[in-house]
Order: sequence, then structure tokens, then C-alpha cells
Amino acid sequence: MDIKRFAAEAAALLVIAVLCATVANSVAARNRKLAWQATYPNALVVPAAPASPGVLSDEVEAAQPEAAVLRPVPDELPSATLPPSESGVKLPNEASPEPTPAPTRSPVVSSLPAAPAATPKAFPPDPDRPWLEISPEDVMELYSRKMLFIDARRTDAFEQGHIAGARSMPVWEADVDARVAALYDEGRDQNAPVVIYCSGGACEDSHMLGQKLWGVGFDNVLVYKEGFPDWQKRGGAVARGPVQ
Amino acid sequence: MSSFSRWIVHPWLTIRVQIGLGVIFVVASLPKIIDPPSFAQMIYNYRILPGVLINPVALVLPWFELLTGVALILGIWRRTAAIFIGAMLVVFIVGIGINLARDNPVNCGCFDLASAEKPREVLLGEMKSVLVRDVAMLFLVAQILAATAGRERASAENRNDLSS
Repeated sequence: MDIKRFAAEAAALLVIAVLCATVANSVAARNRKLAWQATYPNALVVPAAPASPGVLSDEVEAAQPEAAVLRPVPDELPSATLPPSESGVKLPNEASPEPTPAPTRSPVVSSLPAAPAATPKAFPPDPDRPWLEISPEDVMELYSRKMLFIDARRTDAFEQGHIAGARSMPVWEADVDARVAALYDEGRDQNAPVVIYCSGGACEDSHMLGQKLWGVGFDNVLVYKEGFPDWQKRGGAVARGPVQ
Repeated sequence: MSSFSRWIVHPWLTIRVQIGLGVIFVVASLPKIIDPPSFAQMIYNYRILPGVLINPVALVLPWFELLTGVALILGIWRRTAAIFIGAMLVVFIVGIGINLARDNPVNCGCFDLASAEKPREVLLGEMKSVLVRDVAMLFLVAQILAATAGRERASAENRNDLSS
């Protein structure tokens, strides 16, 4: 094949493709736009394979030696005073589908009779971690305290149904950084809990958004890993309609 | 040249292969062009592309698929289009193969960008089917290249004759 001709045709195809992509992206609807530049810190990190339910395989155990959720909590410590890493939350970089945790006395997983807990559970900020995973029970409690909830799913999914009162910040859409900046500009207390959710399962959108919020200074980002499907199963308040 | 060899590069067959392969790539490109964020998410799930390349690839690759597909259907720049389609198929095969090897189930993102949660085993099974399909399409690319090679040579010889 004539190399010069091939190079010319290949270059033409490439240039036309880039031009078409640029024009199409610039005229696309807001929820179909994609930023040309974005950073995905975990783009090359392969998610861990799930362990069998109720079985803690050696492989999974070795992959998360510091998994705080597996660490038994000393009896003497009241749960409300525990640091986040020991109060039933899950830390970043753990294998996502976690094995059944060892028994703890954390109120998150405990079925023991409640201790005289007149004081509400504390969710102290942790500036060293971009986000922490919390249990659905904690999510319910934070919702009842009217904390900020953020939906990281796509706009279409948000409009079809979301946690009532949640704000939409679709992490894959082009204007997510602008929305994060707008939230920052509201001058909110950056130590107050912010709950992020997406569609549960293997969805990582909430973790990615958590990373962004942490990046601008939010120190108490909590991820509701089970996400919106779990919220619906629990009969939580749901709203529908366009993004405000 | 045996009768099989003549049949395999026959223009009747080549035109149909060109149009078939072109239509497949045009159809595959459309959902990605319509919804680049979903396609970027699909690429991310493969975990083989550095983060900074994900969005540019998600924006440009579908248009490249569309253009090469249209070129094949119209019969222009056939060899170049076929070579690029072959290259894309090799990339897809490698991407799927790597994730099969490391037991990381991914939605192919070939024709459908719906992010419905599928069971792990279903996804792994689909990935194997996609591998077979992509290898089959590589044979179609090979047919186009083989069929157009003779004409390419002939036209080059004609040009040489005219110039001398």
C-alpha cells in the first residue's frame, strides 16, 4: 500500500473525527457533555473480586490488612467516642464487596440492646481520608438530622427518582467541577457530614465525587455505598423531577 | 489461483462484507456519540487506560468508528478504513482479554451503554462472546484487505506505466 496515501487518509480521518467530536460536544445538552480533561485517580486500579458471602478468604484478608471494620472494638470504649475508623465505617481502598465483618460492638452492626445513648452518634470529620463508607442505618440517622445528601448519578437517573432533598452532582458530566465549586462557595461548614450516594453495587460514582469534595476541603464526606436501590428498599423518602 | 481463493476475494463478496462491517461500526458508534459520559464510564471500567486519556478517547473514538464505517459503506478509502477497523478490533480484543484474564467483569460497551447491573457470571460470559465476535470481524477485515490488495497493486502498476 502506498504509505503516503495511507498516512494522508489516516490523518484526514483523525482530524475529521476530532472536529466532529469537538463540535458535537460543544452543542450537546448539559447532561450529555463530557469534559475533555478529567482526572480519575483509580483508573488503573482493578476492583477486588467479591468473596463468597459469609466467607473471608485468605486472599481478601491479605488484600485489606488494615480493614478497620474487621477489627473488634474494645468493650470499654463507648461507640460514640470511637474514631471514624473504628465506628463501623469503611475506609477508602478497601476491597469493595466486604466479607462478613467480625462481631463488633459498634452501633452500626450491633444487634445488642442499645446502650443508654441519649447523645446522637457522632460523625467526626477526618481530614486525612477523602471519604468513609457508612452503613444504611447511619445514613437514615443522618437523613433524619437533615444533613446534606448528594446524588452522584447521571441527571437522567436523578430525575427519575432520588432521595428527597438530595442535590444532583453527576460525576461523569462536564459541569461536575463547577457544581462542586458552587457548593464550596456556599460557605457551608466543611466539617459537617455530607452523604453521597449512587446506584449501589459496583457503582463508584459516589467515591469519585467524594474525592472531588475532599479535594476542595470537605473533611467529612460519607459514602452510602448501598446507594439509591437500598434507600428505596428501606422505604426512604423519594422525590422525582428535574434538577433545580 | 484456486477457485476458493478467487471466490474469497470476489467483488460480489467484498462489497457485502464492506457494507456489513461498515453498518456494524456505524450502529455501534451512535449510542456513544449521543452519550459520551456513559461511554467514558464504560472505558473507565476496563481499568486499562490512564485517567487523563479516558475522556478524549470517549469523545473521539465513536466518531472514528462512524467515519471508518461510513467509508466502508461508501467504498471510499477502503483499505485505510479497514486497517483502522482492524486496529480498533485488536484493541477491543486486548481490552476484553486483559479483563477476562484478571477476572474483572465489564460491560462491553460495544452497542449498548445501559449501566444495568448484571451478575458477574453473565458479564464474564458476555465478554467471551464479544471476544469471539471481534475475532470473527477481524476475518472480515482480512477479506477486505486481501480483496483490495490486488486492485491496489494493479492501480500502482498503471500509475507507473503512465509515468514511464
